[in-house]
This record gives sequence, structure tokens and C-alpha cells, in this order.
Amino acid sequence: MKSRYIVFAFVTFSLWACSKKSDPTLSESIKIVSLSASINPVKAYEITEISVEATGENLQYGWVANHGRILGNGKVVQYNACTSCAGHNTITCRVFNETGEVSDTIMIRVYPYPSENK
Amino acid sequence: MARYTGLLLLIFFLINGSGARAQCCTSGNPFISDAEQPALPSRVLTTSLAYRYSHSGSYYLKDGPFRELPFREAAYSNYTELQIGYGVTNWLTVLTDLGYFFNKTLKNPGIDSYSGHGLGDAALYLKFNAYSNSRLRLSISPTIGVKFPVGVFDQEVDNVQLPISVQPSSGGYGYIATIFVSKGIGKIALAGFSSYEYSQLIESDNFYYKYGDQWIGALYFNYQVWKRVGIDLQLRYENRAKSTRENNEIIDASGYHVIFFTPQLTYAFKHNWYISAYADVPIYKYYNSIQMSFGYAVSLRLTKKIDFIALRAGRNSMKKIN
Repeated sequence: MKSRYIVFAFVTFSLWACSKKSDPTLSESIKIVSLSASINPVKAYEITEISVEATGENLQYGWVANHGRILGNGKVVQYNACTSCAGHNTITCRVFNETGEVSDTIMIRVYPYPSENK
Repeated sequence: MARYTGLLLLIFFLINGSGARAQCCTSGNPFISDAEQPALPSRVLTTSLAYRYSHSGSYYLKDGPFRELPFREAAYSNYTELQIGYGVTNWLTVLTDLGYFFNKTLKNPGIDSYSGHGLGDAALYLKFNAYSNSRLRLSISPTIGVKFPVGVFDQEVDNVQLPISVQPSSGGYGYIATIFVSKGIGKIALAGFSSYEYSQLIESDNFYYKYGDQWIGALYFNYQVWKRVGIDLQLRYENRAKSTRENNEIIDASGYHVIFFTPQLTYAFKHNWYISAYADVPIYKYYNSIQMSFGYAVSLRLTKKIDFIALRAGRNSMKKIN
């Protein structure tokens, strides 16, 4: 009987932990024209500006960095990364409105801080 | 056979869980560092609520502060954890805990702060009473466990995903094995604790990351000052290996060795209520490359212990009197 409680706890935790988001609807009325960075490659802790140009109505913008941090929001954001995020990092920009969304990525190379090898 | 069912199931989940896709990634719940306890006797339940404030502010390069960065940052969190333990039999204790971050904040003057909040990870442990000798006051309690990334990981503010360092959940499963040895000598008790944690690869649409393995070794000295007051002094070594990212690239600026001193004061109230206050103070830090280093943490834990066998015995004796 006691073992059943252990099984129940494991199954509950696992199902909860494995839940996934549903895929977003792709929009045909939104087009990303450009996605660019002001400085690339960039030194660790240095800030680069990333901007997106897109066509469509009532657009909103979402950002995700696989390593490093996005500062601000909207169609122009800033990005920086600490030295533990040095490498080729992917920034994903999501443009969306009530019809759905499209996304694009830009790779930014972050190189280590110069004093690191002292 | 039935008594091994729990163990077999845990092994099954360890194997099965390694192929699961996680939501994303972060360092997850902090290590609650108060003195480890041996396995519970049969039909004893402990419930505790811990609160922890931690603060980090200085960057380290190897074993010294690194002050060349053109800014100053501070990271702090307010965290609470509910833990429940139950002695299923005299040889098996089941423990579970669930963490919640009131906030997990990274503050950088001149730039917006980042702050995440919400559920962290949950964990389930099986602690075994491998050896216990009341005459020698010696006990050995190995533990195995799994951390589940049940909490918030891909938290966004204004459609911008927060950095990993302030996401409440670790985003991946963790597998833990520990051993705790305790020996009582008069009014004091000496104990040793060793722990190994393997973090599963975190692989999602946006993220591919694996935290390095973690080793913890701790020595405890417990002294019962008065009947209700106990002091624990703990020296703890924590080692985290380097992390890996895409293409199995090893991240040089990850991994550390830190030695902590953790003093703890515990007061036992009537009816098996306990309150503990403790602090984590790093006395030696070594970080690979440049990393933000651990500052300090202060914690409080309130515990209630219920012995169901004693309760029943009490009720039976009351019935006889009546």
C-alpha cells in the first residue's frame, strides 16, 4: 500500500515536469524584413543593440537569448553576456499579432573578457 | 519483494527520466544547508518550512576578487521550501520537498533589474537506515533522490525571457546520492555528510545546457548546550564541475570550489516543535575564470515532528485510565 503512494508521487511529479507548451500559430501576414546587431562579435559584458524590422499590423515583439541577457523590450533591445556565456549565442526574435507569429534568429559571437587569462 | 518496490521504481525513473525533454534551464533551488538528519524511525513524520535569503555581489577570478569590470551587480533571492519526511519503516524514510522563490533578482545599476518568481524544483528522496546502533550512538544513512523541474523556467517579462540565472526552476532533472554518518559522544555529536548530484542535459527549443556534476562534503559538530538548545558548527566543501553547452563545448567560466562555514542554533519547543537559524559564510572561494561569487545566506527553519506510535500509545493509556 505504501509503495503505491511512492508510485503516485513519482508519476505526478514526472507528468507535471514533462508538460510542454503548445506550438504557436504561424502568421502569413507578418514578414520579418531584417534582424541585425550593432556590434558583432562583442566582448563579454559589452552591450550590443539588436533591432528587428517587420511588416504587419499591431505588431508585438518577443525576445529569447539562449545564453546572455536581453535588456529592454520592443523592436530594439540591448544584449550583453557575461564571460560564462562566451561563444556563439542565438537570439530569437518573435514578432506576433492576433493572426499568429513568425520568428527569426541572429547569432552573436561573445568573446571572453580580455583580463580573463591573467 | 514489496519492500523493494520503491527502490526499483526510483531506478526506473532515473533511467527513464534521462531521455525526457526539459522545459529549459537554471541553477534551481539552493542547497538548504542546515545539519543533515539520520533516517527517521518508523511512523514518524516531520514537516518543516524553511526560509532563506541569499546575496551575491562580487565577481571572482580564480581565488580572488575581480574588480576590473566597469559595473557592479548584485544578485539576491528570497526563497522558501516545504519539506516533509516520513519513516515508512525503520529502514526507509521518504522525503519530499518543494521550493518557491518570492523573488530571484539580478540588479545592475543603470540597467533594468531582472526578477523572476514562482515555483522552483520539487524533489523526492529515499533515505535508508543502513546501520544504526543505539549503544554506540552510531548511524549510517545513505540517500538517493531525484529533483523534478516542476516550477517556472521560461518566465517572461514584457515578452522578453528572463535570463537563466533568475529563472526559479532548474529546467532539468537532477539525480542525487548522499551518505550521512553520525556518531554521538557524550553531549556532542560528530557527523559527516557527502553528496553527489548529476544534472541531466537540458535540451529545449531555445536551450542546450548541462550543469557540471556537484560534490558536497560536510563535517558537523553538534553540541547540546542546554536541554532545549543545540548548536551545530558545519564546515562544508562544495565543488561544481564545468558546464557544457552546444556541441559539447566546455564552458571555461563555470565550475567552482567553495568552502563554507555554517553555524546553526536550534531551539526545541514543547510538543516537538523546533526552530533553527543558520547562516552560510564562504571562507574560501575559487572560481574558474570570471564568475559572480557566492556572498552569504541566512536561513530559518521551523519543524514539527509527529511520532504516530507515541501518539497511539498515549491515546491507549488515556483509554485505560478512563
